[in-house]
Amino acid sequence: MHVQRIQPQPTPVPPPDFASATDTAERILVVEGVGKRFGGLVALSDVSLSVGRGSITGVIGPNGSGKSTLFNIIAGTLRPDRGRVFLNGHDTTRASPAQICRNGVGRTFQISRLFGEMTVLENLVAVAHGASDAEAVERALGLLDFLEITGLRDKWGTELSYGQRKLVEIARALMLRPTVMLLDEPFAGINPRLQNRIVDHLEALRQRGLTLFFIDHEMRIVLEICDTIHVLAQGRVIAEGDAAAIRSDPKVQDAYF
Amino acid sequence: MKSLVIIVVSAALAAVIPFVGSEYALSFTVQLFVFVALAYSWNLIGGYAGYTHFGQVAFFGVGAYTGALMMDAGFHWLLAAGAAGLSGALLALPLGGAMLRVKGPFFAIGMFGMARVCESFALGFDGITQGGTGLYLTPVTDLKPLYFVLWAIAFGMVVLTWKLDNSRLGIQLLAIREDETAADALGIRTTRLKIGTFVASAIAPAAVGSLYATYLSFIDPATAFAPMTELTTIAMVLLGGMGTTFGPLVGAVVMSVVNELLWSRFPEIYLALVGAVILAVVLFMPRGIVSFAMRRAWWWVPAARSSLRRLASRPAPSRSPKEAH
Amino acid sequence: MPVFELLIAGILLGGLYALMACGLNLVFGVMRIINFAHGDLLAVGALTTVSIVTGLHLPFYVAIVVVPLLTAALGLAMQVLVLRRLADGPMIMSLLATFALSTILVNLSILIWGGGYRGLPGVLGGSVHLLGLDVALSRLVSFLVAMAVTLLVWWFLQSTRFGRAIRSVSQAPELAVINGISIDAVRNVTFALGAAMAGLAGVLLAPTFASDPQLGARFGIKAFAVIIVGGMGSYPGAMAAALLLGVLEVFGGYWFGQVIGSAMLFLVMLVVLLVRPRGLLGMGVRA
Repeated sequence: MHVQRIQPQPTPVPPPDFASATDTAERILVVEGVGKRFGGLVALSDVSLSVGRGSITGVIGPNGSGKSTLFNIIAGTLRPDRGRVFLNGHDTTRASPAQICRNGVGRTFQISRLFGEMTVLENLVAVAHGASDAEAVERALGLLDFLEITGLRDKWGTELSYGQRKLVEIARALMLRPTVMLLDEPFAGINPRLQNRIVDHLEALRQRGLTLFFIDHEMRIVLEICDTIHVLAQGRVIAEGDAAAIRSDPKVQDAYF
Repeated sequence: MKSLVIIVVSAALAAVIPFVGSEYALSFTVQLFVFVALAYSWNLIGGYAGYTHFGQVAFFGVGAYTGALMMDAGFHWLLAAGAAGLSGALLALPLGGAMLRVKGPFFAIGMFGMARVCESFALGFDGITQGGTGLYLTPVTDLKPLYFVLWAIAFGMVVLTWKLDNSRLGIQLLAIREDETAADALGIRTTRLKIGTFVASAIAPAAVGSLYATYLSFIDPATAFAPMTELTTIAMVLLGGMGTTFGPLVGAVVMSVVNELLWSRFPEIYLALVGAVILAVVLFMPRGIVSFAMRRAWWWVPAARSSLRRLASRPAPSRSPKEAH
Repeated sequence: MPVFELLIAGILLGGLYALMACGLNLVFGVMRIINFAHGDLLAVGALTTVSIVTGLHLPFYVAIVVVPLLTAALGLAMQVLVLRRLADGPMIMSLLATFALSTILVNLSILIWGGGYRGLPGVLGGSVHLLGLDVALSRLVSFLVAMAVTLLVWWFLQSTRFGRAIRSVSQAPELAVINGISIDAVRNVTFALGAAMAGLAGVLLAPTFASDPQLGARFGIKAFAVIIVGGMGSYPGAMAAALLLGVLEVFGGYWFGQVIGSAMLFLVMLVVLLVRPRGLLGMGVRA
């Protein structure tokens, strides 16, 4: 059961030129016409996509396609030059990462950002906003159990292996009781066994109604678990659809295979 | 409860000194309390929140002057100390709002600059402060009440830190220290926490500054803003262990003894030696004595942040794995 | 109000700040630490100059050559013996180490030179007539030498192979080796260069200002305000801010007295932090 901790704000009046923003019940994340340049370099030229509530949606693309830029714009660490982002029905284009987080969005980081000189339990409990100590610990233990990492409870952040960090980061983001999880390359650099474990956990989270949005290069997993896939190349979306559609799309074949 | 035992025993020991100890023991413990209060305050912002800085003496000095001017105007020294504590908080609020926008060396050295600004104000506004001549105060006849007030502040800071160490607030401060960007992205209200901690860390130094002026019945810019105060405080926290409950206490005791042994005999190289102590700790034991002992799990060392662990180890039949989301 | 005189005096003072601040900024760019002992190298430079001129009775220009070499050696020793070993650890530890080194340096200076002020009477005495003003020769010479060296170092950074290596390390420290120059070599040279600039600033201020071992906390610390105002890591920013703050300090001193005038630099720094945290020309500190 998700408890809304944010003051429910009035749903923004949908912009007239963007009819699909009305059905925010269906689309939990909407990116509309987002562009971003760094100096002379165009990272994103004109990207629009939407993520259905309760779906697993992935963005893939070769290096330099603008994936990370897009992710950072959604997570609020970068501001787009133009276009808008709606999360949970709120315009979060200019919101800070902290505001986005309080809108029910949990995130993990591409390079682990665990709090090193704190134990795993402390890493989790630190972000249980609004809960009492006992509730926070309870929730943390529940999540460690769910992700099958109870044994790491009293380990220090710095002691963990690369793969363990990824799992703890997922647990920490779940402590926020998000409605959307943004995962920045969750499968990069870990062994296939752990990849499969994470896949299982993500599937289980989706079963509970969570929306998952991630970027990654791992074609195999993305095609396996995503309901919808967006393929990014040279700063624009060149294809979108389910795994079968992506596999057979000639433009993707050109860009990727 | 090892922590409680340590706190109560050391507090009780300190409380009986004026009745059994000599003049010398009394003056030694007064110095010790002053430094315990300073070290614990610095530990809040420098050790827990990770905003190490070299300007705490600004609050000590401003408090000393606020208190001295109040006493000069005829107020009781206790009231003066209260007003001094308030002046520390009032100074820290705008200063924190500006300075905490930068971190690392910029915050640390910027605060050092701020302390120098306060010092030059104390020198420059000589119509009020008598400049370099200093302010002479009527000596307090009985030092015992002063002693107990200092004791209470030092004791209060230890208890406060112990509470903080066992609370989520303390963990959130550590999260800021470890990775402020991530903490912010995960919804921790970093700005508010930082400024709040900074203000909290300014109150006791300012109050203690006023009490120290009362103790000396004199204050001048060189005493109020002494680099030696700053340096010794930092050495204490670093030596004992930054961001720990008992580190500053251990550090304060060790450094006070070192101070007594060296200051009287080798005053000319004392500060260089304190510098060498800091350098040695940084190079060879950066986590300090207490953290070192905690990692070795020595029996007399209480574990850090133990309350969460106790909560976690408690059998909880109601817990269900399906509670995750 | 003698606006023109004050303006000239401010610019002349700003030249010294530029030399100090650019050295500090250079080290920050490459090492990502602020050397707290930078100002104390300046004090050592000034006091050594006094000893060379009044103790050894050697001419002033000898100090201009010898003292920067001495402080460069001191700086290099600090880097090799202490800071290099802390380079991979938390930045706070390097900072505390420079704080400790500063204390050691100050107190050793007190042992060597005593705590009192020392001046250099007679060196570069007299004044020259310039733009209708009488300008003290010592101030004019120190300004010209300081600006010349600051610009020379800038040229070195822009135009030589090693200079470019220094700049690329400060922009992308993760690229460990640049055209065969190791990052360690870059760090050592930069640190020594920064220390030499601090030492030279010490030499140049010795004829004008009274020097003592606490000079670092009083005077050297201003370089820090300069680079915050100018923008961390920006060489032109530091130069511009140095001149600006020099002028501000002189005017502040004229209006409110010497003591408050010096404090003004830090008040300006506070305002800059509040209004424009990345400084006038800086790349930002918050990242």
